[in-house]
Parts: sequence; structure tokens; C-alpha cells
Amino acid sequence: MSLKNKAFYAALGLVFCLGRAPACAGQQLNVWAIGAEGKLIRQAAELYEARNPGVKIVTQGIPWTGAHEKLVTAVVGNMAPDISQLGTTWMPEFRAMNAIEPLDGFLKTSALDTADFFPGARDSNFHQGEWYGLPWYVDTRVMYYRKDLAARAGYKKFPTDWESFYKFSKALKASKDGGYAFSLPTNDWQIFLMFYWQNGGELLKDSPLTAGKFEGTIDYLKRFFDEDLAPLEGGNDTDLLTAFESGYYPVFISGPWMISQLETSKPLLNGRWATAPLPAGERRASFMGGCNLVMFKSSPNKALAWKFMEFLAGPEMQARWYALSGDLPASRKAWLAPALAGNPQLSAFRLELDTAKAPPQVAEWENIAGNINDAVEEAVFGRVTPQAAREKLSARIEKILAKSERQQSGAFKIWLAIFLCLIPVSAVALHLRGTRTGTRSKYQPIAVLFLLPAVLILAVFLFIPIVASFVASMTNWNMYGVNDWTKVVFVGLENYAGLLRDPVFLAGLRNTLVFAFIGVPVSVTLSLAMALALNAQLLRARAFFRVAYFIPVITTMVAVAMIWRWLYNPEFGLFNLALGYVGLPAQGWLSNRWLALPSLILMAVWKGFGYNTIIFVAALQSIPDSLYESISIDGATTRQEFWYITLPMLRNTAFFVIVMTTIGYLQFFAEPYIMTGGGPLNATMSVVLYMYQQGFKFYNLGYASAMAYILFGLIFAFTAVQFRVQKKLEGNF
Amino acid sequence: MAAAKRHSPAYKFAFYAFMLASVVITLFPFVWMLSTSFKSPGEIFTKTPTILPQLWTLAGYRNLFAAVNMGLHLFNSVIYAVSVTVLSVLFNAMAAYAFAKLRFPGREKLFALLLVTMMVPGQVTMLPVFLILKSMGLLNSYAGLVLPGTAAVFAIFMLRQFMAEIPEEILEAARIDGFSEFAIFWRIMLPLCKPIIATLTVFSFIGAWNDFLWPLIIMLREDKYTLPVALAGLNGQYNTDWGLLMAGAVVVVLPAVIIFLMAQKHYIKGIAAGAVKG
Repeated sequence: MSLKNKAFYAALGLVFCLGRAPACAGQQLNVWAIGAEGKLIRQAAELYEARNPGVKIVTQGIPWTGAHEKLVTAVVGNMAPDISQLGTTWMPEFRAMNAIEPLDGFLKTSALDTADFFPGARDSNFHQGEWYGLPWYVDTRVMYYRKDLAARAGYKKFPTDWESFYKFSKALKASKDGGYAFSLPTNDWQIFLMFYWQNGGELLKDSPLTAGKFEGTIDYLKRFFDEDLAPLEGGNDTDLLTAFESGYYPVFISGPWMISQLETSKPLLNGRWATAPLPAGERRASFMGGCNLVMFKSSPNKALAWKFMEFLAGPEMQARWYALSGDLPASRKAWLAPALAGNPQLSAFRLELDTAKAPPQVAEWENIAGNINDAVEEAVFGRVTPQAAREKLSARIEKILAKSERQQSGAFKIWLAIFLCLIPVSAVALHLRGTRTGTRSKYQPIAVLFLLPAVLILAVFLFIPIVASFVASMTNWNMYGVNDWTKVVFVGLENYAGLLRDPVFLAGLRNTLVFAFIGVPVSVTLSLAMALALNAQLLRARAFFRVAYFIPVITTMVAVAMIWRWLYNPEFGLFNLALGYVGLPAQGWLSNRWLALPSLILMAVWKGFGYNTIIFVAALQSIPDSLYESISIDGATTRQEFWYITLPMLRNTAFFVIVMTTIGYLQFFAEPYIMTGGGPLNATMSVVLYMYQQGFKFYNLGYASAMAYILFGLIFAFTAVQFRVQKKLEGNF
Repeated sequence: MAAAKRHSPAYKFAFYAFMLASVVITLFPFVWMLSTSFKSPGEIFTKTPTILPQLWTLAGYRNLFAAVNMGLHLFNSVIYAVSVTVLSVLFNAMAAYAFAKLRFPGREKLFALLLVTMMVPGQVTMLPVFLILKSMGLLNSYAGLVLPGTAAVFAIFMLRQFMAEIPEEILEAARIDGFSEFAIFWRIMLPLCKPIIATLTVFSFIGAWNDFLWPLIIMLREDKYTLPVALAGLNGQYNTDWGLLMAGAVVVVLPAVIIFLMAQKHYIKGIAAGAVKG
């Protein structure tokens, strides 16, 4: 290390010390936890600090939304904490990124008994003979059912096997009017997997899926849909509570969090519901969820980090943690505590935990899970036979696993170097060509000063990242390369070629175009009409109306989504109530393949039109009154005023609004992300949503970047056409 | 429009009926959010929800203020939104002035280049921007949070469109009077652009105020979280306390409404026009 380097790092170190002063003193650990645990872990940390004077534990909470992105960027930026909570299905990814420390060395000398953990909890931490994390808490799925409704259908006890559950569902449905017997979301791979495992199926063992078992599971589930015992719909927890109360769904599958949720938000139901183990097929199997604790490779204080992890994962602390947080312990010994062993609602969970299974430990799991959803949906909707669905899914899984890891080729660096050199060269060349033809004398050099701040910032934070992501679009940059550049391989146009054959991408492209073709004209026309109304002389209390129209733009998306979900609810939503009044049948606004996209367009127009309205309002203010005065002296009507003054004067603004709205609608993302996740059957998948999933959920960053540039090409073409039309119109005036 | 037109009472009635109906549609979710924030958990999800809570409760707000250090996160949010707004309006207006009214080599090309960058979906540049800020040592700092947002092609484009309409004669007159370009920009151009600057102020304030993913990723310590990030931390993985969530949403939305109310006063009729005539 050169002297200059040393000085630089010393200075950097100083900056960091100033930034977080206690970091340089004594024994300190940085620990991240997610969601509610992010706050509660403080209490565990204080307990540990009290027992171990001199140790300081800095805890930080991360919201569940965005936690995955936050952790990955922290790893990429080499800013990871010492310890973090990690979702069980995220483990393989972070292992693939080479970010988490194996723990066998520590376990050898530790008193911690790993055999005490439930087998399913062990599986998500254990890979090829080594431990990569410790189970912190677990959850699993059980049946929630209405005791009163079951009794009315003649059942005192909940059925314990597949056949009797089916008969029970039929009896339940027959015993009440309206609604269904069972909530069986079609977009939840976890629920499918539980049935598949119960049926004796295996995942990625010898072959991707077990022939026969997959088909058998589909056939069993399909009976519920075909006989109208369960609707073909995606699931949503908040709707579930009300539907459970009204008896629309007297049975559903969920995790331990539902107990407190039901107790607090549906107090009237207390005593009328219970939990039961899932009915067994060939065997008993539920889904093992929960969270693990991992140590990051970058931790400077591994010995201490281990001590704290050991403390959190031990049976004593796990029992205490249940009392603090309500999280179920991963340690079997901890379950002997009276608070757990004596709770009747928990006994179903305890039973399931012994045999609950975790999904296979492969880094591409999120991607595979998405494909399971698609395959199951296609099969239960009856679009393909169960066997065809299995074969297609198996092929997809094999392809996903095959393309993951590759070796670095020397050509990549050379290509990259050439490409990066070409950019400044071509920029200079273009510029020289331009200046030669210019008329220098009229230039105002002061323009440079006006441009400097904005252009400098755009250059650093927009141009460079755009070039970088364009380069990335020609590589296989994925999770293996996130933390290790040598694994990034230049693949030329392979990503682009792959996309043009990717059915999900093509569906996304089609939906995005439909969305823009319908959404843009509707939204812009509505904005203009509302702006004219707001500007009408007749109108009093202008400020009130302006705010009212702008409110949807300001309102947080979570609140908006909650309300629109209610509006679209198939059972008690406002839209279906209205249809009912005029005698029309209820619609599945978000679950019907043909209605889902229009439903989202309606919501997007509602949320967004106020934005353009206020741009139009601002522009209307700048039209001189004198123009109207002169034309009205000539006896013009209001309509003539609009066509001869208002519209021509708004041309520049309207052009801007149309261009911007088109760009915005082609980047359609928030509504499907929050409302449908792209379903049903990818009917609402958009290009940017798919890009986001590939990029930030599956970490196929190269593939995601390529998608961005195909979309870019499309937007570019649209905008070019709009500019051309604008030029033509200008010529005509 | 300018000259007072006589409208029949029927026309007036229809007009107001239409305006009020549309207001009901746009305001409905906001009112809903407000009322939900005062409801008890048992009342939030029912088959036939009521507009007003049957039992008013402040529990949502009490829980909110107990769980979150409101002052600290509000402070962070204000710093972020105000600095992004002030700097971006200034920088973008300066650049827009150059593009609209000054002559320099490569003007059209540079502008076209800016427009083109707007067509790349923002999500792909997030990771590179993060790495650039890291190499500049600006992670976990207000500077790193604010800087990338202080120039926006969208705003430059919008301002340029607006400025292009302002007659050249005004500027020429000022130049003859011996005004420097900066004086023209500051004392003539900006006042003439008031309505559009008010609009942009609202847009960039609300953009930063509601921003979630970027502040979450760039800020490594909890005490630097902005309000939306801190509030998102109150959601469980599966549990959602809706009363608390809606109370949080109300607290986040109110300042944005106030900013909009303040800004919309600047939609004043025809300043530019007056200037030409005078």
C-alpha cells in the first residue's frame, strides 16, 4: 500500500469514526433485524449487554418492504452489519453471493445443540455438510376454521385426511348459502407445495418434480375449484379476515400471526374458531417458514458475533423471545415452557413443526417459485393438462438452474474496455461535427454557467449509471457476480435474444402497450377537461377543488391500494354491490383475466390524472386575457374560444403532457406491483414489474437491464413519432 | 371566459353537480384514510364499513407516536424534501433557461440527449448510483440522499416548454437596459414562470416526501431514516395494524397538502401577457 493510499484510508477511517463515534471503542456489534423484530431485538440486546459488560450492540430495524433490496445493496457496497436476520428462503442467495460466514468452526466448541432444532428449520441453514446460519424463530401453516359453522354442517372435529377434508368441504358448502368452503389462493406456491409434499412429491431430488405426484396434487386441488368449493382467486390477508367473519370462507390456511390478528380485529369471533393440523395425504407436511440469523463474512468481530448468535438461538432465550414477540421457537426444548406447551391454539403448530419442510436450498429459488405459481395457475385454470404443466415446469426449472453459474472469460474485460473508450471518443467526434457547422459568433458562453450544476449532476447520477447498466445488459450479471466480479461474463446479445423468447416478458410487453394505448388518451383528456372546469369563471372555491383533484396524487400508495382492494372485493366491494343493485352478476375485478388489466387502468387514471390537471391549470393561467377579450368582442362562442384560443395556446403544454404521460404509462409498475403482483396468469404483468422481479428478486441484473433497454427502444420510438407529429402540426398553423 | 358570460341556472346547477360528484370520487379514499385512522381494529374490516367511526379512538396515533421518534424522522424528511426541492427548482430552471433562451453549441443535441435518458426506467440505475455514492463516501449522509435528485430531466423539459413561450422582446428590452443574463434570469424569467415553478415545487416536494426505496437504501443508520421509511418499519411481515398504518399515512399526507395549498396560490392569471402589453 502506497503512502498516499494509507493517508486516504486513514482519512476515510477518520470520517467513518466521526460518523459513528462509538464504532471505534471497545467491543461493538452491528445487528440488523427486520420488521417488528427490528424494534424488539433491542430488548434481547440489552439483556446480553447486561450479562456481558463492555459489549455494545447497535441494533437497527429494517422494514419488510425493501429489506431484500437493502440487504443486497449493503452486501454489494460492502456495508453489511456483523449479524442480520434473514428470511429462510433468502439463505441460498446470500450464500451464492459469498456473503455469509460458515459456522462449523464455531459450532465445534459450542454448547449449542443443533439436534434440538426442528429438522425443517435445520434444512434452511445447512448446506452441503455445513451450517451457514442459526434458526431464530419458525412459523408454519395450519388450518383455521369456524367451529360453529363446522358443527352446523355436522362436524365436531376437523377432518384429518385428504378425502375426509374434501367431503367436509362439500358438507360445509351445502350447509350455508353463498360463499365458499375454503380459501385456496391460486397464486401462492407455498400452499401448493404443502399439498404436493403431503402427496409424497419431492422437489429437485433426482428430477425437478415427481411424475404422478404433481398431477395427483393438481387433480385433488382442481376438484375444489371445479365444484365451486373454492374460487379461482389470488389470496389477500386483509380481505380474508372479513370473509372469515361473514362465513364466506369458513376455512383457510395461514400462519401463527393470524391468531393475534383474529383476536384483535375480530373480537366477536372469539371462541367460534380454532386451529387444526393440515389434513394429511400420504404423509403430513406443512411449510417451514421463519427467520434465521447469519453472520456476514465482512464482520470484523466474528468471535463476538458468534457469542451473540449463540445466545439468541439457545433454548433459554428462545422461550423468552416467544414471551417478548410471540415468535415460535425453533428449539424443541423451548417448547416445553408452560406458555407454549399450555396454549391450545398452538398445539396444531407444534404438531406440524416436526414434519414441516423447507423449500430446496438453491439460490434460484425465488425464480423457481414464481414459475411454480405460473404452472399451477395454468393447470387449475384448465389451460393445460396437469402432465403438460409438470413437463413445462420441469423444463423451466432445469433451464433456470443450468444458466446460473459461469466462469469469467478474458474477452469480457477487453470488450468492456473497448466499449468504455468508445463513448468519450464518439461523444467528442459528434460534438466536433456539430460545432463545425455552427455560427460561432452568436453563441453566449455564459450558457455554460447556467447548465453546469444540472448537467454535472445528471452526468454523474444519470449518464454514467445508464452506460453502466447498458454494459450490464450484455453480461450474465446475476447473484453469483453481485459480490464477485470475476463471475460476470460478457454474453453479447444473449439476454436480448432470450427475452424475445420469454413468454412472461412478451405478455408484459403486450400488457404495457395496452395500458399505454388506453390509459394515455383517457388520462390526458380527463386532465384537460378537469383543468378547464377548474378554470371556468363560474367556479367558486377554486382552491378547494384544486386540492380535491390533486389529493389522489398525494395520497400514499398503501392507503390507495387498501381502498381500491375494498372497492374491487368480489364479496362486498362497492362495484359488485352496484352491479347487484341493477341485477348484474358479480365480477372478479382483479381475478378475471380480462378484467384485471382494465381494473388497474381505471385505478391508475384515478390516481394520476390530477398530476396533469395541475400542469394544465398552470398553463391556462399564462394565456393572456386580452386574447379572449378580442375574440369575444367579435361575438365568439365559448366553443370557438376553446378551439381558436385555448387549444392552440396549450399546444406546447399538451405536447409535453402527452410525451411525459406516455413515458410514464409505458413504465407502468406501482399498480400491478401492489395490487396483483402481475397475475392472474400474467394478465397484469408489465415490463417494469417483470424487470423489477428479475432484477431485485431473482438478481438476474444483466437480464433485467436488457429488459430496460428493450423498453427504452419502445419508448424512444413512441417519443420520436410524437415529436414528428408535433413538427407537422406546427407547420400547419 | 374573460368577459362575463351569462349562464342559465340549469347550466350552473349541472356544472356544480358534476364538480361535486367528481370531488366525491377523488376525495373518497382520503376521507376513508382519515376515518380509518380513528377506528378501532374491530371496525376497520367489516362487510358494510361506515364513513365515520362508530367509536372514535386515538389509539392509532398514540401507538404511532409511541413507536416512532416522530420529531427525528420528520426532521430528516423535511431536510430531504426541502433541499431537493429548492436545489432542483433552481438548477433545473437555470438549465431550462439556457436551453430555451441562450445560444450555445450543441444545444439541440444536448437537449435531445437529456430527453433520451428520461426513457430509461429508473430502477436499473439504482445500483450503479449506490456504488458511485459509495465511492464518493456519501452513503449515510444527507448529501448522498439529496444530490442525485437535484437535477431532473422532466423538470428541465417542462420549464423549457414554458419559457419558450415567453416573448423574446421582453429579454431583448432587458438586455438593452443593461441587465446581465443572471439578472434577467433571476428578476424577469423566474417571476414570469411562477405558475410552473409552483407546480414543479409541489411535484419535487411530494416526490421526495413520499420516496421510500432510495432513502431506505442510502441511509445505513436508523436515526437517518425519513418518515415513510420509519413508518414502513411498523409493518410486520404478515401482520398489519391498519389503524396505526392509516394514522401514519395521515401524518405523511398532511404536509404535502399544505405545500400544495401554499403553491396553488401562485397560479395567477396572465403575468406574462401583462408584461408584453405594458
